[in-house]
Amino acid sequence: MFPQQVHEYMKTFFQETNCQIIEEDEHYLTVQLTIDMDKRIMNRPYYWKYVESTNGVPAPSQLTLITDQNHVSSELRGEIVHFGSYRLNQLFKATKELGKYVQMFENTDSFEGQTILTPYLGVNYKVSYLCDKTREHLYSLGVNLMTGKIIDDFQDIVTQIDLVSDLPDNAFPLQFIIKPLRGIERLDLVINNIIQLDDHTWVEEADKRWKRDQRVLDYFYKDIDEKPECYEIEAKALEERYNAKIKIEIINGGLFYLR
Amino acid sequence: MIIERSPEWEESFKERLEQQDNWDNWALYKMTYEVEKANLITEFTGLQSPKYLPNLTPLAHQLDVAQTVIEKMNGKAILADEVGLGKTIEAGLILKEYLIRGQVKKALILAPASLINQWADELNNKFNIPAIPYKKKSSIEYIDIVVMSMDTAKKSPHKEQIYEQNYDMIIIDEAHKLKNHKTKIYEFVQSLKKKFCLLLTATPIQNDVFELFYLISLLKPGHLGNFEVFQEAFSASKHDLDNDEFLKELVNQVMVRNRRQDTGIEWSNRKVQNISIQFTEKEREVYDMILQLKDVSPVFSGSFSMITLQKEMCSSKEATCLTLENMIQNSNDEEGLEFVHKLMEKLMSLEINSKAEKTYEIISEANDKVIIFTEYRASQIYLQWFLHTKGIKSVLFNGKFNKSKRDYMKHLFKEQAQVLIATEAGGEGINLQFCHHVINYDLPWNPMKLEQRIGRVHRLGQEHDVQIYNLAIANTIEQNILDLLQTKIDVFEKVVGELDEILAFKKSI
Repeated sequence: MFPQQVHEYMKTFFQETNCQIIEEDEHYLTVQLTIDMDKRIMNRPYYWKYVESTNGVPAPSQLTLITDQNHVSSELRGEIVHFGSYRLNQLFKATKELGKYVQMFENTDSFEGQTILTPYLGVNYKVSYLCDKTREHLYSLGVNLMTGKIIDDFQDIVTQIDLVSDLPDNAFPLQFIIKPLRGIERLDLVINNIIQLDDHTWVEEADKRWKRDQRVLDYFYKDIDEKPECYEIEAKALEERYNAKIKIEIINGGLFYLR
Repeated sequence: MIIERSPEWEESFKERLEQQDNWDNWALYKMTYEVEKANLITEFTGLQSPKYLPNLTPLAHQLDVAQTVIEKMNGKAILADEVGLGKTIEAGLILKEYLIRGQVKKALILAPASLINQWADELNNKFNIPAIPYKKKSSIEYIDIVVMSMDTAKKSPHKEQIYEQNYDMIIIDEAHKLKNHKTKIYEFVQSLKKKFCLLLTATPIQNDVFELFYLISLLKPGHLGNFEVFQEAFSASKHDLDNDEFLKELVNQVMVRNRRQDTGIEWSNRKVQNISIQFTEKEREVYDMILQLKDVSPVFSGSFSMITLQKEMCSSKEATCLTLENMIQNSNDEEGLEFVHKLMEKLMSLEINSKAEKTYEIISEANDKVIIFTEYRASQIYLQWFLHTKGIKSVLFNGKFNKSKRDYMKHLFKEQAQVLIATEAGGEGINLQFCHHVINYDLPWNPMKLEQRIGRVHRLGQEHDVQIYNLAIANTIEQNILDLLQTKIDVFEKVVGELDEILAFKKSI
């Protein structure tokens, strides 16, 4: 993300979480946090415990976040935020916590008369191949909960559609035939299949590197029968580093009622 | 193959389905996907950080180093590029990458006091990393990226404060200062938690291969067995490292080193001349008397002072005289004193300094900016006076100067003076690409120091061939120093790879 994108991101984030933006230009913004947001990102549990136990007046913080320090007045006090900064990572984390589960309906035009909406389950997966190196892949899958049909790149499709969180007046959502939890199982199978068909030479290569390092380590202890603790620690560290594994995570997902 | 999945999401999703409540915001849902996408590591290889550095165009070898350290070394490495190839840039790239990946939140950078501001400036301006120089009263718990001097860090109460922080990354500049495991600073660094750790030094081996043992042990404690095992494996003879496949392999696991010719950049050449100088008859007489000192009285036979005196005599009578005066003050051996006084008299009556004359000759011929390195303050001052009498303007430089004085001297040298005369300590951390003549007026024992000296001018940005003049007086201790430097370079080359041509006769052997 470039400074401009970071700025846009923060602006949307605070707007969507009901934190009021008090002041801003292209290169900085000052925001009044809500109580909930202060608890999430300001890391001051004792303060909140104190306010709550004494029935005090809560005073959530204001933050000034600067995305381009070269274009703001030197008088301006605030945190410099860049891609990679702790604050931004924290906002990312808060975003992820607040954007995990949705139920959305396709918006319908009330002039059209009654519209039937079909239920879909959409799940965004992150699959990580982990050894001493990392490779990650996102898979966005959807399944039609009436027919069982699988849809690739589901996220790209739904972001194109006008969606609302409340059922539109003239819309009629079908009751799903496949239960959402069964839907998840089906999508999990698809993911397993993708992984199985993938090229896994990376595992063998990591294994080779592991053996090589192990050989060097052993050399320095070759004449010692009872290996000391520091040897075990090093050997364990090598295992943790090279031992290949695959992690499957669901980033977010939800029910989508679409035309 | 281990496959990990977590049931958490599914469970919470189930609850929401049952209660038909608590659904999240659609905008944040979309943003979550976008954030994951932006932070995704899409390939086993490759760096994310260069895209986000509008103020910097890293060189190919710098990107290579950053990538190797992250992908192959797990963020624990000795960055040992030759002087002037941009180790700071490499460290910055690595730090930035980990910051972007969210693997580093807090980092500690230890550097020589004179380079602290330079570090902070570079990280801020080139990398957009908000590094802050440590001041005595700063509270480090509120600074995520702090730059501090080693001398401050190792002392209380700073030491304890640092231990309390949970640093994810430690960067240590001029890490050859850690070659001795008995020092306070070594102990301090050893006790720091090192999730990621970079040791920066152009000279990982200065005297022998065991220095490397201690550096590597900081990064991979226990990896080399203990010192005894290591010693046994590698010290059949200190300088015989032919069966060292394992050591090389290990070095490759933790150390990256680029040489000038690996960088693909067109470097100017180094032209090294070893210049042998003959003493005048009178100088030779004094030198011989110094050699006799040990026979005159046991008080003067300490080998250290003997060597010092011989070296000093090869430098200037001013340097020699200071040491002799100290000896006189500390001695009450009558017979010896008489000899020393006679020696002093002869010394002080010397009118010609052959080496200084030769130096003048070189400067005149060069007819350009020249840097002279000497080991002795007294010789430094003498040379300034001597050159002044010849109408040559010079400035002095030494390690005790603070940042603003250094900058000022550099400025004077660039704009007004022809010659800069530096003592050993002046060697680190100053960049003088606008000059391309280096006179090593005295030779240090340590080849890496020679390399550090040359590195002041032979670095990125140097447009001319660099002329190096090593001065040595024939049939004196300086001849031995040249030989010893050669042996040491051989050790280094075996372990770390070829070293640039520091000494001219290298090629002929």
